[in-house]
Amino acid sequence: MFSFHALLKNNLVCLAGLASAALMAAAPWHGARAQGVLDVSLLAGTCLNCHVSDPKLATSIPVIAGKPEAVLKAQLLAYKSDQAPAGTTIMNRLAKGYSDDEIAALAAYFSKLDAKGIVPAGVKK
Amino acid sequence: MNTVPKFSRRRWLATAGQAALAAGWTISAPVFSQQSAGRVVVIGGGFGGATAAKYIKQRNPLIDVTLVEPAQKFYTCPFTNLYLGGLRTFEAQGHSFDELRSMGVKVLQDFAQSADGAAKTLKLAGGQTLAYDKLVLSPGIDFLWNKLEGYDEAASLLAPHAWKAGAQTTLLKKQLDAMPDGGTFVMVAPANPYRCPPGPYERISMVAHYFKTQKPKSKILVLDAKDAFSKQGLFLDGWKRFYGDMIEWVPANKDGNVIRVDAKNLSVETDFGKIHKAAVLNVIPPQKAGLIAERAGVSNKSGWVPVKPDTFESTQVKDIYVVGDATIAAPMPKSGFCANAQGKVAAAAIVNALAGKPAAAASWSNTCYSLVAPDYGISVAGVYQVADGKIVEVKGSGGVSPREASDTVRKLEALHGVAWYNAIARDTWGSGA
Repeated sequence: MFSFHALLKNNLVCLAGLASAALMAAAPWHGARAQGVLDVSLLAGTCLNCHVSDPKLATSIPVIAGKPEAVLKAQLLAYKSDQAPAGTTIMNRLAKGYSDDEIAALAAYFSKLDAKGIVPAGVKK
Repeated sequence: MNTVPKFSRRRWLATAGQAALAAGWTISAPVFSQQSAGRVVVIGGGFGGATAAKYIKQRNPLIDVTLVEPAQKFYTCPFTNLYLGGLRTFEAQGHSFDELRSMGVKVLQDFAQSADGAAKTLKLAGGQTLAYDKLVLSPGIDFLWNKLEGYDEAASLLAPHAWKAGAQTTLLKKQLDAMPDGGTFVMVAPANPYRCPPGPYERISMVAHYFKTQKPKSKILVLDAKDAFSKQGLFLDGWKRFYGDMIEWVPANKDGNVIRVDAKNLSVETDFGKIHKAAVLNVIPPQKAGLIAERAGVSNKSGWVPVKPDTFESTQVKDIYVVGDATIAAPMPKSGFCANAQGKVAAAAIVNALAGKPAAAASWSNTCYSLVAPDYGISVAGVYQVADGKIVEVKGSGGVSPREASDTVRKLEALHGVAWYNAIARDTWGSGA
């Protein structure tokens, strides 16, 4: 069975290099998303349609709310790369829809989410 | 790692944080004012409407939000195919509005009769008139009765469409259960655009699963008004593998286009006059936006609703936002996932507009799983944004499951399908496993 965490452990070392190389080369934003008012919660909104925030409700799709920012970013960049991790189903097709900066912003945002899927009052956004 | 040329993540996050704060993203209400920050009425408690109502209230609890929905519970079309296949109960697709009520959304069990975009009022079947600052319509679909000759509402009681979840779905299930082994299930599949592009073919898969396990001598005939369909290669591969020669799919160019339905005799006639007789007949008729769209003046000659891509506000009537299957939002499909995503974009735009702020950059995605057999799932995905005033799929993103994927991946996609359903139901209505 494909495990999010095992996968991360196995890939983290090589990912660190890949991630920084990819970030340096990236255009900051995709098309018109760069021109509007930026609201990362809107960019992140549809992720919640598959990823529940409450660990008590965990399914075959991993919980991403409250996970470390660096882990989330590395995983998303791995999905976006042309060598998606073994066992990947759909995330490579989705990750390619976001620039590296958007991925970094999504990782930072999800790392702050609580089990209700919101940024708790008092946490710096 | 944090050094990004041109536009730093830190600066981006700071901007995003300010925007979110300005939009009242925090759950606790600001102490300086307890007055209403505006009146929003949402019509329709499905994926689009319930999501819009929830996210408006979540982004700014000071906005008065009223949801008008005739049903006490909303039953989703997604996963009713699994009910037809004998894999789920019908009730598992029902969702109440308890979470919305607990957030302070007023839920009116009523039917929206008409909307006056100039007066900004709405008339309900129960007699009440509601005034709004912003109106959200998520009316789903209605059927073009008799566009396919012989198929009207009365005919649907004999040959169900089951394309809105409810009595039609349970009727089709009863007919399948009562059908003797060796009968033929005939489906009439519609031309584009229609609700849920892969839906008819997942239904075929699930009926085939039911026949294989319960009535193995039965056959399935799909008469299609199209020459191609969503995830076609993946479905055809799966049908052959799991159901052998049980399923025959006839495209329009091979005389699959049905021009006449005789519901009393459970038969249909194609372009070239061929008559097909069914034991159970499922007609998915041509569709248009839900009735209120026409009455509010937001739909056009196509029967669907043109919207401004950034906000999903109607291009025809100011301050009316329309989301979900009723809209013209291609390349986004008419899916529950997209309705939810559009509900979030409209909610954010409305909250900003009521605060006198511009809309944030819109972003949508879609993920749609189909079950071909109990442990065999396939998917299609897409990521969308606005470019040059149009909705476009982000280049390089999206697509369907690879044709050569392993059984492990297919099984995982079957599991992810259930996980998706539970997650989106929880996101939209706060209920689900």
